[in-house]
Amino acid sequence: MVWRIAAIGRNAFREAVRDRVLYNLVLFVLILIAAAVFIGDLSGGQERKIIVDLGLSAMLLFGVFISIFVGVGLVYKEIERRTIYAIFAKPVGRGEFIVGKYLGLCLTLLVNVLVMGAGVSIALIYVSRGWDPLALRIWPAVLLIYVELMILTGIALLFSCFSSPALSALLTFFIFIIGHFSGDLKSLAGSAGGIVARWFFGALYYLLPNLSNLSFITPAAHGQVPDVAYAGLAILYSLVYIAVILAASTLIFSRRNFK
Amino acid sequence: MTQNWSSLDGVLLLVVLVGLTIVFGLSRRIDHDRPRIDPAMAEEQLYLAGTTAKRVSLGFNGLVADWYWMRALQYVGRKVISAPGTFQLDNLGQLNLKQLAPLLDTATTLDPEFMEPYEYAAVVLPGIDVAEAIRITKKGIAANPSAWRLYQHLGYINWQQRNFREAGEAYRRGAELPGAPAWMKVMEARMAGEGSSRNTAREIYLRMYEQTGDEQVKNIARRHLLYLDSLDQREGLRKVLLVYQSKLGHCPGSWQQIEPALHTLRLALDSTGAPLDPSGTPYILMASKCDVDLDPKTEVPRF
Repeated sequence: MVWRIAAIGRNAFREAVRDRVLYNLVLFVLILIAAAVFIGDLSGGQERKIIVDLGLSAMLLFGVFISIFVGVGLVYKEIERRTIYAIFAKPVGRGEFIVGKYLGLCLTLLVNVLVMGAGVSIALIYVSRGWDPLALRIWPAVLLIYVELMILTGIALLFSCFSSPALSALLTFFIFIIGHFSGDLKSLAGSAGGIVARWFFGALYYLLPNLSNLSFITPAAHGQVPDVAYAGLAILYSLVYIAVILAASTLIFSRRNFK
Repeated sequence: MTQNWSSLDGVLLLVVLVGLTIVFGLSRRIDHDRPRIDPAMAEEQLYLAGTTAKRVSLGFNGLVADWYWMRALQYVGRKVISAPGTFQLDNLGQLNLKQLAPLLDTATTLDPEFMEPYEYAAVVLPGIDVAEAIRITKKGIAANPSAWRLYQHLGYINWQQRNFREAGEAYRRGAELPGAPAWMKVMEARMAGEGSSRNTAREIYLRMYEQTGDEQVKNIARRHLLYLDSLDQREGLRKVLLVYQSKLGHCPGSWQQIEPALHTLRLALDSTGAPLDPSGTPYILMASKCDVDLDPKTEVPRF
């Protein structure tokens, strides 16, 4: 089973590379170079902070776009091209297919995030004219960004199992936005007058992914590293959430009739 | 992948190139013809309050804070450039910088640990809106209770306003924090005993010069230090001139005539024997008034 998942994942990664998804790295590098060279004059001596903020924010934003726009096509394209029949003619389970596709895109995102993280570190060393401890201290935030992208990829995949790419992309983007408003959902649940409203907002808060748990870009720009216990819990929460999404995706996808 | 170019391709390429040229020309024309923005409108309040901006920034609040910070710097820079005359950063009261406080406030709401806007608020804002400068600094203290430098900023604002009791209180509270330097305690004592003295002012600007990472703030502190040193030097020179006048009944016609006395003041002299101010520019002897003045070309400010 592991080999079959790995084979599907490898192919999903190759397909992303063939689709020139990694070309976004060129744009990212250009942004970083421009920031490193020009921001110094505009920032009042805050180049390091701005490079971290800009670099990690661009990493998240590019990652979100890749997760959404590649993620929503992972299953849909196979159905459209009818290649899914060839896949399922072999001894491949639907769950294996979903997990393989998911891991393939996660591998693409991992390469993306690693190269971008290295780019931010190099830019920091460049503007500091030598070794800068911030170049290492940003990496826990990079890890949390990657975990956030893993959740979004799962959600995009989930929607693509039963919806069109355009609608899936829109819904995933909404989830990304709402995921960063989780605190508001919780306070709405707490302050709502009626019991129904309180339950509704409370349910939404727990049902939707709390992406603000993984937001650590701003503190990282000040050289802060997340507390290990807190980061561990946030990652555990994310992994469990991803398992739930993949299970739900498999459940929905298993019930689709391709005849 | 080799393809032959057809005449249609050439036409399309021409359309692209000519189109871009026309777009470029039209953009320049529109920029030129655009009606000037009413200054009152340009000074309108920001669209988003800091808390709202933080909420809608979707985890990119650090980046948005950077943007507001850079916008504040550009705003001040534009005003300084467009106004006639020269302005120092700590004396911008005439420039009507209405948006500076909201910009700094929004930047610090988006990223409460961003220290530079607080420093800017403490050094630049009191010349425009003291109450806002104090409010933003206090907001920073509430968000960063262990940052002793914010207490230094609060002490500085209050000292400038001659509120020595509040300034002393700010230095005292800052001195109690872990990592605060010993001179914070000294500043508390100075505020109590000699808040308005020149030595206190020197200590304040010396610490500001040492602590800041901002070149503009460093320059402000340096200019104040030059000014304070020059005040001491000019007092010494006036005493020498007075002694000379009382002995001979008239003022010296040149610095050479009092050169031995100048050596006792330990002032650096140039090749003509004229004493040099802290920036290295010779002082001017005003023989008719029996006084000393700064050279107009000197870097020492007059305040």
